[in-house]
Amino acid sequence: MNGRERFLAALAGEPADTLPIVPVVDGFYAPKVIGRDNDECFLDGDCMAAALTAARERYGYDGILAEMGLGDPPSVLGCPVEVQGNDVPLVVETLVDGPGDLEKIGTPDPWAGGKMEPVQKVVEAAAGRHAVLGSVRSPFEYAATVRGLAGFMTDFYRDPDFVHRLIRAMLPATVVTAQALAQAGVDAVVIKDSFASSSVISPDHYREFAFPYEVEAIAELGGEVPVILHICRNSGPILAQMAQTGADALEVDSLVDLAAAREAVGPGITLKGNIDAVAVLEKGTVADVEAAVRRAAAAADGRFILSSGDSIPRETPDENLAALVEYGRKYGS
Amino acid sequence: MEKTLAEFQQSIIDGDSERTEALAREIAGDGAVAAEDVFASLSAAMEEVGSRYETGEYFIPEMLRSADAVERAMAILEPYLFEQRHDQSGVVVIGTVKGDIHNIGKNIIVAALRAAGYEVHDLGVNVSTAKFIDKVRETGADLLLLSAFTTSTKPALMDILETLEAEGLREGVKVVSGGASHSQELASEVGVDGFAADVKGTLAVCRELLGG
Repeated sequence: MNGRERFLAALAGEPADTLPIVPVVDGFYAPKVIGRDNDECFLDGDCMAAALTAARERYGYDGILAEMGLGDPPSVLGCPVEVQGNDVPLVVETLVDGPGDLEKIGTPDPWAGGKMEPVQKVVEAAAGRHAVLGSVRSPFEYAATVRGLAGFMTDFYRDPDFVHRLIRAMLPATVVTAQALAQAGVDAVVIKDSFASSSVISPDHYREFAFPYEVEAIAELGGEVPVILHICRNSGPILAQMAQTGADALEVDSLVDLAAAREAVGPGITLKGNIDAVAVLEKGTVADVEAAVRRAAAAADGRFILSSGDSIPRETPDENLAALVEYGRKYGS
Repeated sequence: MEKTLAEFQQSIIDGDSERTEALAREIAGDGAVAAEDVFASLSAAMEEVGSRYETGEYFIPEMLRSADAVERAMAILEPYLFEQRHDQSGVVVIGTVKGDIHNIGKNIIVAALRAAGYEVHDLGVNVSTAKFIDKVRETGADLLLLSAFTTSTKPALMDILETLEAEGLREGVKVVSGGASHSQELASEVGVDGFAADVKGTLAVCRELLGG
């Protein structure tokens, strides 16, 4: 089996020769591999595609997360995004301050300005040998981004109706971007809904504001491409609900116990995770990585993809990422 | 009024902005409450909100709801608290350092400092080193207060200190860092003149550094 076959088998609940390994190596880490700063690759699709491909070549894992850089809808919709050096890209000005601004939100064209090119290049370079995953954000997360997190969440109590209208207005951004990624040839789309985590909002607010739109977005995709729903930090209290969204897999972070997660979601859905990207991969030793991988592999069943629970930081030592793959192969066989 | 102040505190914890505003009007109208008791009440409320977040009872939206109540209360109370200010000269530049967007604690401190008679220049949140330096130079500030809620802002704090030194401004200004995650250890590492974790501590350290 090659990496792509291994990944697709785990996604479909079919037997694979060994545990697939698809860490979240994205625009935070990959540029380092080709000696470039993160902002250079964020602003230049060729740089990003080269970095993501080179990182996979170096470590030999089974799938690439193809980062879109400036193709991400808030930029496409006109939200000014600033990125400096190796900082996290930051939306510096919000697009929406109140209900009067809802009309500013259109449906983004993910193909405009060649912004899907990095993804297409990664797909071409992979040539079916390993998996390529695209990534979009959920309507809830896009809404928080164009509104600003503080204003968005203050409105949960002040104006919940506006919150719903705003999230609904962002639904097409998630759907059309995921569809474009599918057309570009990715094997799966990760829908990121990090702000819906129980480390950020209550499970009740998840059910009210995030879950319904995850369901709608996935339903609108209609099985065109497999979906992995990513909610980092603590998603324990909402896992059972996440399993009802129609996603093919759930990406869980290190705060979630894998055995408990399986019990919560049942046997019919794949889990992806859950090595701690910061405490273990960035700050830990090779021995820490080995121990974490061994624990994850022991808890894994047929429907599991070994991964970091979240984006791998740029400062992660090379030997730790190499150890993730080495011990993933050792304990996953 | 003691009862009103207790209710005021509880309304902030509950994030009931309307009730908080009504009680703030009552406090301002009555005129018998000392400014320091009002600030103690605001701080205690936000401390309780923070502790409910720590224990998982509250999440980010509930914290923001309480912060909103504090902001509305301050809009009503500031003129009243300002009337009680003591004459105390001192020019303060304050802001939350780059990479940090927390403003609840800083806003309470701004109000407390103004009420205590300082001339306060508030630069807001996510403030760059250049902005801090320009404002210190422009105002001839006696004190520079750097609010940093998260420990990840240490490089930003160090950058400000180094730039003050390089620009020849360091000797003329006392620098205080503050925020819930601050410790003496962090303050020593960064090289500030003082640090404080809450409103009361900030006022005390400002008084001490200016020899008041």
